Amino acid sequence: MRWIVCAAIFLPLIAAAETPDAGDIIRRAMDHYRGLTSYSEMSMTIHRPDWERSMSMRAWSEGDDHTLVRVVAPARDAGNATLTLDSNMWTYTPKINRVIKVPSSMMSQNWMGSDFSNRDISKDTAIIDQYDHSLLETRDIDGHTAWVIQSIPHEDAAVVWGREVLVIRDDWVLLEQQFWDQDNVLVKALKAEEIKTMGGRAVASRMRMGPVDEPGEWTEVVTETVSFDLAIPEGMFTLSNLRNPRQ
Amino acid sequence: MNLTWVLAWRNLWRHRRRTWLTVGAMVFCNVLLIFMISLQLGSYQMMIDNTLALASGHLQVQHRDYLERQRMRDSIPAVSSLAQDLRSSLPARGVAARGQAFALASSDERSFGVLLTGVQPAEEPRVSSLPGLVSRGRYLQAGDSDAIVLGAVLARNLRVELGGEVVFLGSGRDGSIAAGVATVVGILDTGIRDLDRALAQVPLGWFQQVFAMGDAGHEVAVRLENLEDVPAAVAEARALLPADEDLVVLDWDALQPGLRQAIQSDLTSGWFMYGVLIVLVAFSVLNTQLMSVMERTHEFGVMLALGLGPGRLARLVAMETLLLSVLGLTLGLVLGALLVAWLNVVGFTYPGMDELAAQFNMPERIYPQVSLLAMTWGPLTVFAFSLLAAIYPASRPYRLEPVPAMRAAQ
Repeated sequence: MRWIVCAAIFLPLIAAAETPDAGDIIRRAMDHYRGLTSYSEMSMTIHRPDWERSMSMRAWSEGDDHTLVRVVAPARDAGNATLTLDSNMWTYTPKINRVIKVPSSMMSQNWMGSDFSNRDISKDTAIIDQYDHSLLETRDIDGHTAWVIQSIPHEDAAVVWGREVLVIRDDWVLLEQQFWDQDNVLVKALKAEEIKTMGGRAVASRMRMGPVDEPGEWTEVVTETVSFDLAIPEGMFTLSNLRNPRQ
Repeated sequence: MNLTWVLAWRNLWRHRRRTWLTVGAMVFCNVLLIFMISLQLGSYQMMIDNTLALASGHLQVQHRDYLERQRMRDSIPAVSSLAQDLRSSLPARGVAARGQAFALASSDERSFGVLLTGVQPAEEPRVSSLPGLVSRGRYLQAGDSDAIVLGAVLARNLRVELGGEVVFLGSGRDGSIAAGVATVVGILDTGIRDLDRALAQVPLGWFQQVFAMGDAGHEVAVRLENLEDVPAAVAEARALLPADEDLVVLDWDALQPGLRQAIQSDLTSGWFMYGVLIVLVAFSVLNTQLMSVMERTHEFGVMLALGLGPGRLARLVAMETLLLSVLGLTLGLVLGALLVAWLNVVGFTYPGMDELAAQFNMPERIYPQVSLLAMTWGPLTVFAFSLLAAIYPASRPYRLEPVPAMRAAQ
């Protein structure tokens, strides 16, 4: 009898522990792919029906909101770099040797001609604090559990989306991120195309972002190497380092 | 027959004052219609001319998809030589090649998104009125390279002065990162805030170099002498385009759909008012004629008793109305034409119009259009409605019986 009472009290708690809070899942997923710090080398391919181009770049990140991306190839674009600090964004162009702050009015413009917007690049962790999350469903995908989470931005959040839907696997890999507009139309989606273990973690090594109504247009980011929680030199995320790289 | 005309004319003047009042209403309505319609058509003409002169021109050659999507890659190859071809074969006032790109413009202090336009400094003044609106410094010249003219509001927002530097960052045609530094040589002040906030023009050559365009551009703008020449010029330009290049010729209506809509909505509200005016005048004619028929019931009774057919009486009433309407039409036309001819010389303005005019880049005085359509549409419609108004009074003799009619009060 006592056992039954105990079970009645504790079983719901156990069940609750098995499905974590939606906000926590997103938090964990962000931490998982950014680490405390990270360094990665990747290539980005911009595909259009009549042309295609690729760039190689290196990226450093620290915490939620320090990111530096530097283009290394092709030669025409090499040296271009983008620094984001606390959702402010600066860009450096060697051709004219200037650092330019990207104004907030340009944040929804695309980043370096890709299907990613400046906001996608600079504010990818803003979703944690500026959205309300709810768990829509739990799925089984390739032997993993995956959570489908709907995130609706707060009234005062500076975002253009009506809602986002994220699919996160139980090893914290982000499988898909959908961007829905305020008329509830799916505009674009980021999808993990390939998942590998790199730097000791499962990582979506090939991701593709593209508008939903233009299947011939997409941008693919392939992560070639990544390492997490490494020591990043002091002064990496500064405007002077953006202009005069020391690494 | 002749006698009936004389009778009708004399009947008309049995009540001098009443007839003159009715004619006066028609004349007033006709003059008002002539004035309003001429003014309206004149202001539309000016709205179109001035709006098109600002930048778009009367027609443009573009890539098929450029108007809708404005993408860098939807470009015209060898744009300068296409412009040269059009220049030599179209009877145009000016033909100018342009390139356009969205870019981030920034000075030392601030950054803004702008639509950067590459223009041919020697050709642009023949197509667009913008080069003439430089308020400080100068417009671009042939031989300029990294020079730029900015709208006054944009310059103020960026906090740059003449001689200052503006940095551009955008995407090139090949998707690469495009960046350049240009020196401000002129400030444009159009008085249209939205335009002054966004205007940024650089020489086409430099534009093509910075945005990796090669010899391509995005539009060839053609300015003609007259609006009426547009359809012929569009057909001619179409025939000149290389067949395999996905290029299209767009007329001003396609380039500036808002313009025609603005005109149409204004016309619709105008027509409604004119309709009310015309119906009112028609009722006044109906009233006059009906009164004149009613008071002659006894007289008509006598005439019917003498053997005159009701048809002739009806014709008499109709003729009276016709004479009345012709009088109103003639006087209205003459007075209206005089008024419009005078305004066509001295122009027309009203308090507060300068503000409205600045919004559409129009001069501060409107000169009404003197055209056959504007002159005659109103008076002829009034004329037609007055005749329609005669139907009811003219049908009255058919319903009269001679004896009861003769007994009617005299």
